[in-house]
Amino acid sequence: MRVSRTTRRLTLAFTGLALAFLYAPILTNFVFSLNSDRFPTIPLGGFTLEWYRLILADALVIDAFKNTVKIALIVAPIATAMGFAAAYADYRFNFIGKRLVLVFALMPPLIPLVVIGLAMLAYLSRIGLSGTLPAIVVSHIVLTSPFAMAIIRLRFSQIDGDLEFAAQNLGASNWRAFWEIIIPSTKTSVLAAFLLCMAVSFDEYAVTWFVGGLEETSSVRILSFLQSAVSPRINAIGSITFATSISLILGAQFLVLRRLTKDAK
Amino acid sequence: MTSLLQARRLSKTAYSALWSLPLPVWLAGFFLGPMVLLIWLSFWDVKNFLLTPDFQLENWQKILTAGYFWSAYARTAVIAASASVLATLAALPCALAISFFLSPRARMVLLGLFVVPFFTSYLVRIYSWQIYLTENGIVMKLMAAIGIETGSLLNTPLALMVGLVTLTLPLVIVIQAISLLSLDRTLIDAAYNLGCGPRRVLFATVLPAARPGIVLGALFAFIFSFGDFVTATYLGGGKFTTLSILIADTVKSGQQWPRAAVVALMMIVTLLLTALASITYAYRRS
Amino acid sequence: MSQAHISLKNLRKTYGAAVAVENLDLDIEEGKFIAIMGPSGCGKSTMLRMLAGLEESSSGDILHQGRRINDLPIWEREMPMVWQSLALFPFLTVRENVEFGLRMNGVGAAERKHRAQVWLKKLGLGEYADRGINQLSGGQRQRVALARCLVTEPSVLLLDEPLSALDAHLSVQMQGELKRLQRELGITFIYVTHSHSEAFSMADTVVIMNKGRIEQAGSPEDIYLRPATPFVAEFLGGSSIFDCTIRPRKNGELVLESADGTFKTDALKTAGLAPGQHVSLVVRADQISITPAAGWADNEVPCRVIGEEFVGALVNLRLETGAGTQITVQLQQRDMQTLDIEVGVGVTASWHPEDGHIITE
Repeated sequence: MRVSRTTRRLTLAFTGLALAFLYAPILTNFVFSLNSDRFPTIPLGGFTLEWYRLILADALVIDAFKNTVKIALIVAPIATAMGFAAAYADYRFNFIGKRLVLVFALMPPLIPLVVIGLAMLAYLSRIGLSGTLPAIVVSHIVLTSPFAMAIIRLRFSQIDGDLEFAAQNLGASNWRAFWEIIIPSTKTSVLAAFLLCMAVSFDEYAVTWFVGGLEETSSVRILSFLQSAVSPRINAIGSITFATSISLILGAQFLVLRRLTKDAK
Repeated sequence: MTSLLQARRLSKTAYSALWSLPLPVWLAGFFLGPMVLLIWLSFWDVKNFLLTPDFQLENWQKILTAGYFWSAYARTAVIAASASVLATLAALPCALAISFFLSPRARMVLLGLFVVPFFTSYLVRIYSWQIYLTENGIVMKLMAAIGIETGSLLNTPLALMVGLVTLTLPLVIVIQAISLLSLDRTLIDAAYNLGCGPRRVLFATVLPAARPGIVLGALFAFIFSFGDFVTATYLGGGKFTTLSILIADTVKSGQQWPRAAVVALMMIVTLLLTALASITYAYRRS
Repeated sequence: MSQAHISLKNLRKTYGAAVAVENLDLDIEEGKFIAIMGPSGCGKSTMLRMLAGLEESSSGDILHQGRRINDLPIWEREMPMVWQSLALFPFLTVRENVEFGLRMNGVGAAERKHRAQVWLKKLGLGEYADRGINQLSGGQRQRVALARCLVTEPSVLLLDEPLSALDAHLSVQMQGELKRLQRELGITFIYVTHSHSEAFSMADTVVIMNKGRIEQAGSPEDIYLRPATPFVAEFLGGSSIFDCTIRPRKNGELVLESADGTFKTDALKTAGLAPGQHVSLVVRADQISITPAAGWADNEVPCRVIGEEFVGALVNLRLETGAGTQITVQLQQRDMQTLDIEVGVGVTASWHPEDGHIITE
């Protein structure tokens, strides 16, 4: 679009401000996790690792992190597999009510978390699961699989629909064609979806808090810390959380972008 | 021969069922199931602190005639609508810059940068804003340094907006940018060709054509703000009781789940109607 | 009679209430080049897809060397196809693409490599074996798609509008190559296209389809000279079609009466026709001449020039009669000047009684 240089500069500057606004809370969190003052404000105090030492000595925090990793490692493969299956089914087959199923599959992230939390809590306690790790796993799969489906479906939309049939036409059975064509074409986006599911599971706090009972993940631990008082210990846990989810998301983005630039060649 | 054919048909059906079914079945069991139970739950009774399946309208009557419910409802709607408008306005310049003023490479990088915060711990980011806005926090100290005295900014409408825009801005920017990027560029060239100035091109061509994306972005911002309880709790200090806080408090403090279910269902109905209205408006021919 | 290589018997395909292919009967001889053409939606692609097993037939039989193959899955049909999209595997090299079919059929690595190399050389791709598909030109990809099929040594090759993505020049070049390959290999080619020039320049047999049915199947010459139905004449273009009724003259001669006048024709052509019968008279553009005034020939129709189209040294003139019939005439450029023809002027079109082809309805 042709606009004056000033307009261009102003919008770009505003965009920079928006980025600063979004990253400011993330950056300050890292800063204060290393700041010696008990109350996080400016001017800064000295450098310290005390807060990390404190949380790493806290059995509740350690257990929460263990739970988080355990849950993410179970949730991500299952949610990715189911998201993949749904995306592949949408790409490959036609059946009645397909659109309805798709809309339904994309719904969970759009329902308020407390509402899902309440519904899940009521449902899972009816079937005797609430307050257990499986309860958290089950709900996380519901919350993450739509992301996996969306990201993998996007990849499928770039794949020539004839490829799989071309392989069959040359003698490959259903499964063989799937193995030879679909797997190589989608593997990076599957990995990206896997990382994204881990990140979403990692950061989920609301539904987990509802259905988890006494089982805590790191996000729920942060929630309980928040309910007490401001403390740099939260910054320390927060930094670990940020570092983890940012690495996962950047990894996913790298995979998707590499795919895009590769195709553009 | 026919049995062979039948076997082949069966394996074909099995193959397609294997892929088509898992997610829908899972979601039917663990998403639709809970949602249906939620509806039923809203008619249950609580006897001696025990949930008892029943079919009675008392919960609905209690909630729908309660002044505190309606004031929370109005507050939640106003907060969510304000956040949605604010996020939409703040996102527009960013989406325009990303779609029109950047090279494809810079565009991908910037979109990537905007996506990252969306998937990082919202809880911790809100906690960070607490540090900024609290009594003797960073903002107060900075303001004092330039000679402006302020009190704590926590528990103010401003704090609420900061929190909710933090939550929704990345998503709104990405949705708007996608819709601007998919615009037919010849449309813009044609408008210039017809002698429109940049401002007319923006307001008479670009924005109307990108309406679906803009409305959809605003809708998402509304949905997420409407359901959020973290900002209202930790930046609003509980001063602003929203529907989500109502549900969270009810569930965590007792057995009045059926009443919470009524509130939850009212939220879903509101969001569905808003979504329906927005989508109709977004894709209406004008 | 020898057994046909591929036979379609009463083949039918419906989607709900919509009929895509209607009771098709066709025998294809071994080693022939068959072109199937028709307007889009005529069922030609559906027919090809049923052959390959991509669509299930609703009823009827597909016989391959006498064996019914309707119920065979795609991967057991042994009818490799050159796809309109080419459908080359983008994540494999040229050689890996060509080896694919052999690998699926359990051919060992050494033999695979050897056979792929032979075919790559044959199609002039020897030096591109290790390149990616995205590094090839359109024509080269076309050849990879061909090599990928032919390396499996099939007895039938299916081609679904394979040249539609190429520019005109390259397409003509590939047509020559395809024909040469088919002759050398002696295998059956079944080629679906909507292009007249592709079908008529390569095929031994042209099949013209419309609305799921075969309108005519025959040699290109046969179809060109003797279209079986008004649809075929119209679809091929370049002919003028008159709706006529057979009328007897006092001397026993049969003539053709139409809205544009009464036309004489060969006694041979009207043999077996009865007075009162409705027929279509098809006259090709190269059989019609133009005279500035009437009274020079037998079959004359006064017309107005409504359009002209220059094709090299030739001109296609479009005329309209008083009754509204459209007539196409092919002239030499220089005749245009001699006759002083331009759009809007009146002329007389005429043809010899021995020209023209009668289609009974």
